[in-house]
Amino acid sequence: MNSLFFHTLLLVYLAGCILHILFLSTGNQRVAKYGYWVTIGGFVLHSAFILLRWQHAGHLMAHWYDSTSFLAWAIILIYLCIAHLTHLRTIGVFVVPAAFIATLVAYTLQTQENTAIPAYLQNYWLIAHSAVIFLSYAAFVAAFGFGLMYLIEERKIREKQHTLIYNLLPALGRSDELGHKCILVGVILMTMGILIGALWTQYVKEVKWTWVDSKVIFTIATWLVYVLQLSIRQVFGWRGRKTAYSAIIGLAAVLFTYVGVNLFLPSIHAF
Amino acid sequence: MNQIITVGTSHHIAPLDFREKLSFSESQLTEALQLLTEQPDVREATILSTCNRVEIYAVIHSKDGGAVLSEFLSNYHRIEPQELKKFTYSHQDVDAVRHLFNVTASLDSMVVGEPQILGQIKEAYAQSLAAGATSDILNRLFAKAISVGKRVRTETNIAAGAVSISYAAVELAKKIFQSLEDKTVAIIGAGEMSELTARHLVKNNVSQVIVANRTYQRAVDIAKKFNGIPLAYDADLSFLVEADIVISSTDAPHYLIDRPALAEIMKQRKHRYMFLIDIAVPRDIDPEVSKVDNAFLYNIDDLEAVVAANLEDREQEAEIATQIVKEEVAKFQSRLQTFEVNPTIKALHQQFQGVASRELGTCLDKAQLTSKQQKMVEAMTQSIIKKLLHQPTKNLRQIALNPDLIEATDDSDGDHLQYVRTLQELFGLEETDTTE
Repeated sequence: MNSLFFHTLLLVYLAGCILHILFLSTGNQRVAKYGYWVTIGGFVLHSAFILLRWQHAGHLMAHWYDSTSFLAWAIILIYLCIAHLTHLRTIGVFVVPAAFIATLVAYTLQTQENTAIPAYLQNYWLIAHSAVIFLSYAAFVAAFGFGLMYLIEERKIREKQHTLIYNLLPALGRSDELGHKCILVGVILMTMGILIGALWTQYVKEVKWTWVDSKVIFTIATWLVYVLQLSIRQVFGWRGRKTAYSAIIGLAAVLFTYVGVNLFLPSIHAF
Repeated sequence: MNQIITVGTSHHIAPLDFREKLSFSESQLTEALQLLTEQPDVREATILSTCNRVEIYAVIHSKDGGAVLSEFLSNYHRIEPQELKKFTYSHQDVDAVRHLFNVTASLDSMVVGEPQILGQIKEAYAQSLAAGATSDILNRLFAKAISVGKRVRTETNIAAGAVSISYAAVELAKKIFQSLEDKTVAIIGAGEMSELTARHLVKNNVSQVIVANRTYQRAVDIAKKFNGIPLAYDADLSFLVEADIVISSTDAPHYLIDRPALAEIMKQRKHRYMFLIDIAVPRDIDPEVSKVDNAFLYNIDDLEAVVAANLEDREQEAEIATQIVKEEVAKFQSRLQTFEVNPTIKALHQQFQGVASRELGTCLDKAQLTSKQQKMVEAMTQSIIKKLLHQPTKNLRQIALNPDLIEATDDSDGDHLQYVRTLQELFGLEETDTTE
């Protein structure tokens, strides 16, 4: 059942990616619309899948691949929110593929049963803690998308190449502003996630708070990258290219915290 | 037989003074439409009158509808027939449909992709609709033409990209700033192009205009036009801290703004974006300025290149649009052909239904069936009517789509309407407006 669901989901997200990319290369608004609806279809399917897994495995985050699948779902959720609020479909070109890749990774991880999360950790603390953290990751992915859009558009303006992509991408001020908002939302969520994690260690005996856990260290470092960027923007008016670069560096930190730590460093969070 | 005819003139073949003579003012339109539809053979009419074109679209029951319209124009505007003939064109049926679709798709416009024409067509159609001058055929034709115009604009990029320098500047400004609403424009020096650009920017809700000139009085004069702030310009550039868009067109022989100066200004304005437009020759702004973060510099050549590229793009998009028009014309043509036989088909079905329900009524009264049996008899009757009429209906539509299927006989012109007439005579069907 899992495989069938995954295969369908992968196909739907792939179709979503292709339609979004096709939109950027042809400028056909109808294609953009199709891409958007296909992505919504994928989201509905994915939500059903997550709920079924939850019921079946007895937990939302029973396995490493559950968390990756949740991340993909969160990325699509954030995309749909942005598309709904701003009517901007071009951001989909950058984030729907990210969701597709995350789903693909989840699918590959599915076969490795040894990455199951220990039963003593499986409770509502874990759900709240990880769901909020993954939502913040998804917001950072969107910020990364806006950063790329900014850099491409700026390059087109500076090189005076008014191509189709130049026409389709939003104004520099808009990409910058939306990217900034995504980072703001991401930082707020991440702060909440960290606090929930810290409280968890206070109330539950089995889990001990420790500063030396590598995941904690890298999460704090990632958090600092974003908070620093926000502060400099506030004080010195950093914007534009610098915001875009920091969104990219920030996402690299997120990726290392999420994947790198799991693979290379010992941690209580190693799944 | 009814023909769709268009007779008209446009900037392609006629000079302005002729187009003026042929044009219909707002107040003349209703009267002209009435006069036109009062003519014996004219069934439907719409008049389109803009500064670039004057066209009449009509459905005429005559062999030579073009002559009817030309005569009307000649009489109405008191123009010599020879002159009229020289500067007008006339299209019939499919060609008329194609012409209208080309017009709504803006393929026939002076600047391909211009947005006004679709609105003008909608307006013209709405007026003739209100005047009661249109009916079945023109209603369908114009509804389709408007949807073709929309389709071309959504499926191609025919309307994308500015095609004049001042619009190109406005468009660029919109690509840099999210909105122009709270932005300030500074004009340094004076000149037609910079004033025109500033005017477009003001139209796009720029909130403030600063006019800097070497002579204060000149600055005051220009500032008046935009409700702006005049400044006597000297070496001091500090007013640029407030400026989001800078248009420079002085006749200074050297650069007014160089990289270090701008870097300092950018720092003071907290690196908010600045768009600099250098229209001056020789240039006012050092090209090095474009290396400053968040500052974007375009000179006159850059803007001209943008316009040229946009025009070229539109030409390419026009080819795609032409394909769309071709497709839609073919679709409309087949609809138009079956349209002529539809009323007869409908009348035939109605007649059969009428007979069946009368007979069924008397039969059911006598037979006293259970409600289940009654339903079965009713369903069977429907099914018989359907099956009896299926083949003739299908054949009639087929012939309407391909009139070549029938061989012309000596006493007829070999058109599909001969079948329509035969059916009407054989079954005693009532004549309707749209067929014979």
